[in-house]
Amino acid sequence: MALASRSARLALARLGRLGLGSCGAPRRGAYEWGVRSTRKPEPPPPDRVYEIPGLEPITYAGKMHFMPGLARPVFPPWDPDWTPPKFRRLPPLHEHPLYKDQACYVFHQRCRLLEGVKQALWLTKTKLIEGLPEKVLSLADDPRNHIENQDECVLNVIFHARLWHSTEDIPKRETYCPVIVDSLIQLCKSQILKHPSLARRICAQNNMLSTTWNRESTLIQVHGSSGAQLNAKDPLPPIASQEEVEATKNHVLETFYPISPTVGLQECNVYDVNDDTGFREGYPYPYPHTLYLLESANLRPHRFQPDQLRAKMILFAFGNALAQARLLYGNDTKVLEQPVVVQSVGTDGRVFQFLVLQLNTTDLASDEGVKNLVWIDSDQLLYEHFWCLPVVRRKAVVEPVGPTGFQPETFRKFLALYLHGAV
Amino acid sequence: MAAARCWRLVLRGSGLSLHTAAEAAVKAPEVTGPDVAAAPVARYPPVVASLTADSKAARQRRVERWQATVHAAKSVDEKLRILTKMQFMKYVVYPQTFALNADRWYQSFTKTVFLSGLPPPPPARPDTEPAPALDVVALRDAACDCLLQEHFFLRRKKRVPLYLEHEAITSPFLDQLVASLTGLLSARNPALANAALDCKRPVHFYWLRGEEIISHGHRKGRVDALRYQINDKPHNQIRISKQLPEFVPLDYSVPVEIPVMNCKPDKLPLFKRQYENTIFIGTKTADPHCYGHTQFHLLPDKLKRERLLKQNCADQIEVVFRANAIASLFAWTGAQAMYQGFWSEADVTRPFVSQGVITDGKYFSFFCYQLNTLALTAQADQNNPRKNICWGTQSPSCGM
Repeated sequence: MALASRSARLALARLGRLGLGSCGAPRRGAYEWGVRSTRKPEPPPPDRVYEIPGLEPITYAGKMHFMPGLARPVFPPWDPDWTPPKFRRLPPLHEHPLYKDQACYVFHQRCRLLEGVKQALWLTKTKLIEGLPEKVLSLADDPRNHIENQDECVLNVIFHARLWHSTEDIPKRETYCPVIVDSLIQLCKSQILKHPSLARRICAQNNMLSTTWNRESTLIQVHGSSGAQLNAKDPLPPIASQEEVEATKNHVLETFYPISPTVGLQECNVYDVNDDTGFREGYPYPYPHTLYLLESANLRPHRFQPDQLRAKMILFAFGNALAQARLLYGNDTKVLEQPVVVQSVGTDGRVFQFLVLQLNTTDLASDEGVKNLVWIDSDQLLYEHFWCLPVVRRKAVVEPVGPTGFQPETFRKFLALYLHGAV
Repeated sequence: MAAARCWRLVLRGSGLSLHTAAEAAVKAPEVTGPDVAAAPVARYPPVVASLTADSKAARQRRVERWQATVHAAKSVDEKLRILTKMQFMKYVVYPQTFALNADRWYQSFTKTVFLSGLPPPPPARPDTEPAPALDVVALRDAACDCLLQEHFFLRRKKRVPLYLEHEAITSPFLDQLVASLTGLLSARNPALANAALDCKRPVHFYWLRGEEIISHGHRKGRVDALRYQINDKPHNQIRISKQLPEFVPLDYSVPVEIPVMNCKPDKLPLFKRQYENTIFIGTKTADPHCYGHTQFHLLPDKLKRERLLKQNCADQIEVVFRANAIASLFAWTGAQAMYQGFWSEADVTRPFVSQGVITDGKYFSFFCYQLNTLALTAQADQNNPRKNICWGTQSPSCGM
């Protein structure tokens, strides 16, 4: 027995009760709840019989009740083979099966890039062209593609989303942003009578996209769900011709030294390199058509800035295009003969950003060679402001209920992006 | 002096109609002097009950004065405001309920007759050309695609556990199904192409039906109307701008009787609460898409088939579907009628028709509802032969 005297043993027991371990240092979670008088008493020390080596003590364990004269049984500590998920601790990162030494920079749906569009263009080896491509704009201006009373319908949609759809006087952005996007898509879908191939599309949500690529010896990954996505049975036709694609060889990507191109991305060592479009094999709608990204938080600091939203749109569209290209043409890096086109629309309920991305090459490690192309139409207002209650000054209505500064051009572009590929 | 007396009389005249009636009676013979007097003009003011006395006649007169303000309201918003501004304790009716035999109770609350099967098809008009053949194969493919996408093809972040399957898988599947089928069928039905599609928008309705004697409180012993409120949230609903045509004429008499319950609604169980009285179809009154087409409801996990079978309530499976349909569709059609200005004293002049599809993800039931009357209060229902009609199918016939 290490401590022969009873007082020393009691002192040790008191230390243990106070939360201090055997060496006197407090153990983790050392505070013990409960009034001292209500705490459970510590177990009595084992009988002196156990100190004699080679002797088998006779205990009352088999009798299932106390028997004076027999030794108190000492049971092995109970080992629960299952921990509830609430109390499970994760193993240290080094022991995770997917741990790799090389760090990977992951872009997920809440990543805000510091340099915005410039950084996204460098990461995806893309050349920016301001404004939507001619093909798409011609769809917008073609009067055959217009819906009857288009402006009236769009105004009704704005009224419905901003004022009518809820019993509150002034609905919040979290409710009106998805309502307005859904209603605009429903309005675009009404063209199905004129273009029956619009029926070969389906909407999907919460699909987990995952693609990885090398960019000048840094590994970059896009991972996560981007919200609602429109998938089609037929791929989008390429927009830029072969000559324009060849001409991008001369374009030099803009760098932003001293800012590292991976700033804003999440660095992690536990990742999976396999590509995943978010859908299994055999999915009847394999080609991603348009991604709809909504910024619907009520508070302004929680929403992305327009520049950061455009960067997110570029990266997610690129991720979808790259996963699709690797699925169709294999994993080796090359210039694609049949470029992959993906569109994206980002909005916060009032301001729209339109994007068309054409993936020309999967050779992204070097800075030279053919670049990908992206056409961006940024900061398209659908309306300037919406008055939910009339503004009354000196008993005269100065501003009636409704939107101010309505721009029908924005919906025409939205419709054009929707009809692209089906007309 | 006389002028001052006249001035005081005129100022108080707005409240006391006796004096204004007297002045009108005095002035009338001078106005109609040259014309032949058609009816003899009374020389004395009309004998009416008092307004402020503590008597049944006075209460009746006050009620009529309130009803006159509703009739005289200029806009529908104002009318709804007057009807719903006073808050009292009311029964909160839940369309999706576990209560036993709730469909019979809801039929008595809403004066609805339930007929099995679907309503008779409209007579084919000879002048219109026959509709194009329905492409059932394409519709079936679209439905299968939606089902497979949610249940199989879509790779989600984490594997969805069983208790979350309902909201994470079945709910987006129903959204997709409604969207795809609406798109595909809009070729045959142009109204669907211009329809508005709502996802999980609230529908509210407030109505009065029947009377009770107040059992305790400072108004003990007096007669009080029973008030009900439905706050529903259909999973999807389609709203159109033109009303659906009626299934049967407005005064169609159905031989089936409405179940009469002999106990108070508290026995259902139904509980009383006092909060805002709202009437809402999914949008406010200014929306041009103010008529309903179809509602889609998803039954929660709590009312699923396996659970009811485990509780030995196999006969309640159909009851759950029917109760949901009757309550939700009555609330929706009633709110649509009130948006057009009808209420219990101004009964509907044309029937309001809506449809409903109720599902638990695997089994579908189809319902059609025709609202023929909104006059459900004790006063308006005295000589009202009209009944609301609900047609419905059984659920096991359409399992997915």
